[in-house]
Amino acid sequence: MGDEAKSIARGLQKRDPDLLDRLIEQYQYRLFRYLVYVTGNKERAEDFFQETWIRVLERGHQYDGKSKFEAWLFAIARHLVIDWQRSKKAQSLDTLTDPDQEHPLQLTNEKDPSPLHQVLSQETEQNVQASLQKIPAVYREVLVLRFQEELQIEEMAGVLSVPLSTVKSRLYRGLEALRGALQGGAAS
Amino acid sequence: MSESVHERALQLIAQARVEGIAEADSTWLRVHLEECEFCTEHARQTDRALRSLHTASIPLPEGLVTRAQFRVRLRAEELREREPRHRMLWFACAASWIFGVASAPYVWRLFAWLGEVTGMPKLVWEIGFGLWWTIPALFAAVVLLLENARQTEEPDWTKQDG
Repeated sequence: MGDEAKSIARGLQKRDPDLLDRLIEQYQYRLFRYLVYVTGNKERAEDFFQETWIRVLERGHQYDGKSKFEAWLFAIARHLVIDWQRSKKAQSLDTLTDPDQEHPLQLTNEKDPSPLHQVLSQETEQNVQASLQKIPAVYREVLVLRFQEELQIEEMAGVLSVPLSTVKSRLYRGLEALRGALQGGAAS
Repeated sequence: MSESVHERALQLIAQARVEGIAEADSTWLRVHLEECEFCTEHARQTDRALRSLHTASIPLPEGLVTRAQFRVRLRAEELREREPRHRMLWFACAASWIFGVASAPYVWRLFAWLGEVTGMPKLVWEIGFGLWWTIPALFAAVVLLLENARQTEEPDWTKQDG
């Protein structure tokens, strides 16, 4: 991994506030977008955005600079969401993250108008965004990490704490679901 | 054209975009797409779906970054204030341990004398001596445990495997 990751790791060890400021600015959009896709809720994503950076400050000494900073950052954000979801639903982490479960990582009631949809509908490409909203969050998440954040499959496995084969299978299913959703068909 | 040929093509279309395919597979797929309208359309839709992900944008709430930076600085300040207390605790523990080691022979004699005067069994005053010696360490451990309990839980997932 590059010098930048090492430099970030050193700064985080020292809890350098200027570095934190710079990182927040640098990753603001990517982190917020990821959180909106994962939580399906803009307000909640805002809360998690702040909590994620607090956690980065507190646990920064655990980042060793050997992997991409963004992968570590997304892992922190993701686990904050899952911890919250687990405390809310009193379910196990495995249940929430298993794609074969009925509603994996699905925070919103699908019968209600989705806040994610409300956020996304402000955009010009409403059709595309609405299609994304139809995809189960667990697949939406891998698509975002792979094709928006351009993480490698190995990095994604680290973020999601799942085997490579699981990442791949979610990606294939997610891609198929996205394609189907864009065609106007059922996304599941 | 057989069904399995299309199946292979569709699988390769997805695989090429998710994890990449070998040169030979890529060549085969290119040739197939040149002569198969169905698979070409499938590839086009897949690419369109991926392009849509690239172009998807979500507006950032106003002031979010400033709020986050403010909260992080506040928390950093709290953590910094806590550091001298930790250093003092460790210093006190170290000093107490050094004093304990240095004074151990004298305290042993004191306990032996007390045991003799009160007539208690040797084992009892020996245990008493042992407890006296471990009290600073136990106290420090309790303080640190309480301190850690006040902080948020530290889950394993924040630790890197390397």
